[in-house]
Amino acid sequence: MDKVKNQKITKQVERWDLFARLTPTLFLLTTIALILFDVVKVEYAFYIGLTGFAITAVTWWWWAIFTIRYLIITLSRASATLTEVNVEVAEVKKELAELKDEQ
Amino acid sequence: MSNKTYKIIKAATNIISGLSMATLIVLGVIYISFNNAFVFNNAGISVTNNPVTGDQINFILEGSRRHECLLTRVHSHAINNDTGETFDFDFNKKVYLRSGDYLGNATGIVDHQWGVPRPENMPAGVYEARLYSEFNCVYLLFETTKIQMFDNIVLIIE
Repeated sequence: MDKVKNQKITKQVERWDLFARLTPTLFLLTTIALILFDVVKVEYAFYIGLTGFAITAVTWWWWAIFTIRYLIITLSRASATLTEVNVEVAEVKKELAELKDEQ
Repeated sequence: MSNKTYKIIKAATNIISGLSMATLIVLGVIYISFNNAFVFNNAGISVTNNPVTGDQINFILEGSRRHECLLTRVHSHAINNDTGETFDFDFNKKVYLRSGDYLGNATGIVDHQWGVPRPENMPAGVYEARLYSEFNCVYLLFETTKIQMFDNIVLIIE
């Protein structure tokens, strides 16, 4: 379950990376071309850009919150398991030392 | 694709994307600033030959203009302070007394003086003149229509 979710998050990070890499340049070039060829008014291009920026910011914000929450849960679970293992190793060491002493 | 080529492409797209984002933000801020700017800054209009005794009313406009703007429409009238009667000024018959650039597109300090004929049957009294003007302003890629109004212009007719 965790493995599947981790893979999902990795894919999502890759998609965000690609989106961040391509969108600003594509939007800038497309908008300039459309304005120069008089297909769209500057005012509309401005509001389209502003809406896109707002949607991206809100989507990214919530995605980041949920992803960070998942990562913190995973980290604390791993940390708890490690502590348990640590305690058990210490107990085993203690028992081994006692056995040695008895012999 | 080799690892080195991939790294170079990744770095290049990072830089291009960053520059595009910066350009978009700068253009957005410039557009908002241009859109919200007045045609004339620190500007005022007054009558230079108050009290008016002749057939012509002379106006002066002083201020500064930041963007290139072209006057597309103008309307001006005066309201009698006592009776509330309105008299339209005929801008088709205006004469420029100083600088013919009110209609033009020069930026910087503005100092225009023009005269309009005194409307017929305009009785003596104190008036409040108003001027409404529409401009087509251009800056870089941007173009917009702006309206600027001047009121409380004191006009005394004798």
